[in-house]
Amino acid sequence: MSEGNNKIQVFEPHRSSLPPLKPYIRDFWRRREFASELSKFSDKAEYLGSKLGKVWLVLNPLFLAVIYFLLVTIIQGGRGQGGGFTTLCHILIGLFTFYFAQNCILLGAQSITSGGSLILNQAFPRSLLPLSSAISATKQFLPTVPIYVLIVLSGKLFLNDDSLPGFSLNYLLLPILFLLLVITSFGLSLLFATLNVYFRDTTKLLSYIMRIWLYASPVLWQPDMLSSSYRIILYLNPLGPILSANSRIWINGQMPTLAQLIGCITWALIAFLMGSYFFISRERDFAVRI
Amino acid sequence: MLSESKATKSLPDNLAIRINELSISYKINVESKKTLKNAIMRASKGERVRTRTVEAVKNLSLDIPHGSVVGIVGANGAGKSTLMRSIAGILPPTSGQITVNGRISTLLALGVGFNKALSGRDNIILGGLAAGMSKAEIESQTDSIAEFADLPEGFIDMPVRTYSNGMYSRVAFAVAVNMTPDILLLDEALSAGDAAFKEKSFNRMRELCAEARTILIVSHALSSLNELCDRAIWLHKGKMLASGKPEEITEQYLKFLNVGELPSSYEDL
Repeated sequence: MSEGNNKIQVFEPHRSSLPPLKPYIRDFWRRREFASELSKFSDKAEYLGSKLGKVWLVLNPLFLAVIYFLLVTIIQGGRGQGGGFTTLCHILIGLFTFYFAQNCILLGAQSITSGGSLILNQAFPRSLLPLSSAISATKQFLPTVPIYVLIVLSGKLFLNDDSLPGFSLNYLLLPILFLLLVITSFGLSLLFATLNVYFRDTTKLLSYIMRIWLYASPVLWQPDMLSSSYRIILYLNPLGPILSANSRIWINGQMPTLAQLIGCITWALIAFLMGSYFFISRERDFAVRI
Repeated sequence: MLSESKATKSLPDNLAIRINELSISYKINVESKKTLKNAIMRASKGERVRTRTVEAVKNLSLDIPHGSVVGIVGANGAGKSTLMRSIAGILPPTSGQITVNGRISTLLALGVGFNKALSGRDNIILGGLAAGMSKAEIESQTDSIAEFADLPEGFIDMPVRTYSNGMYSRVAFAVAVNMTPDILLLDEALSAGDAAFKEKSFNRMRELCAEARTILIVSHALSSLNELCDRAIWLHKGKMLASGKPEEITEQYLKFLNVGELPSSYEDL
């Protein structure tokens, strides 16, 4: 309780610039529990009384992956690159990963406008609400990883498919890659959450953008399918380098290329810095605009 | 701007809140929906957004010493809630400055951060976290808060959506007053619950006053204000019309409203 004592706060008019960052970050860090608990409780409320509820979170991308796999196989006339099973696994892990980014961005974008009464009646760093969405998205993503591993293992066992690596030391890079993905998606969710305060149809538009984004990302197709002049598409897409590197590690068991790594880090930095600047410099106006 | 705020980041020891020439105005969008579609349509027609500026608080200065209980009265739209929100740091001032010394707890609306699908107990934790407590802090107090709310047997572990309005506001009120804040901001919260609970709330408020907490209360329940406050201010259209002893201020306010001194007029105006 002593934290708040003798703490003098001054509220003054502000321009459209950042507030003093040190107290902001301190406050954000002190109240991080609020974000994690908020995520825990909203998940609890959503899946209350339905045991199958959480299973759907895994089944949904799983079914979609199968549908996309069938579509891709039909379009290619059964002549997919590599074996059919490899293609399925590429789509699976790509879709699971893309779904994390999509959930993080969509949930985060709505978090401010749907947190109306909290924003009007309590003072706290507003970025805790998108953070809470990012935590929820992470909790939805993590169970899909063992599912993927299980599918690969059963492929090896029952289909005798040896094209996928068993275990590779490069897998140790995956957590770092995921961290970069979290930073990128969180940054983008801050950007869209701010936009949604000013233009309430942003989330509607976003659901279409996400679909196009999926088709433009190396999930249903593989990065090698692009000829060199088109490869730039991969790097213009904030999720492109991460998804390519992700698939390279999971499917080929190889280290990401230097270009992919630079792409991942650059996009993470751009998305995070831009998103947080845009969000934090405007968040004091949210209460007026909600 | 930063150096300025550092220079003024001090407050006489006896003051909890200093409000210096505070004005708050905001623009309301007259247009129906704030959407990208409408913005593009407007831009293509060369129209501008139609807005109305509302001056909610005008040039208000006020010093509130530690341990004082201040009642705020005023008609609807007088700027009471806006003032409370700006003291809480939710609404930014348009001009002027607010300096606050101490931990603030707010009860500006009932059940902020509550999730109706969850139990009362879960919501006590959620509400406490939303109000800035740590999880350990709130968990150590959950039982006493639940006890204070004094719900019928078993209700505290049932979803809040099954509660009556009164039960809901009892839980919300219990969370706010059990936070041991330095400064408590209450907006229209005194009417939570039935007569017995009101009595309990009063006692709790008196305790808080005795612990030298600073409390600001916005209420239309004038008799309660007279009883609890040691000072009252009257806001009218964003300006402070009068400030002084609660009995005098509420009397003036009643005369202004011209509703006479019916017993009922002391309760809900």
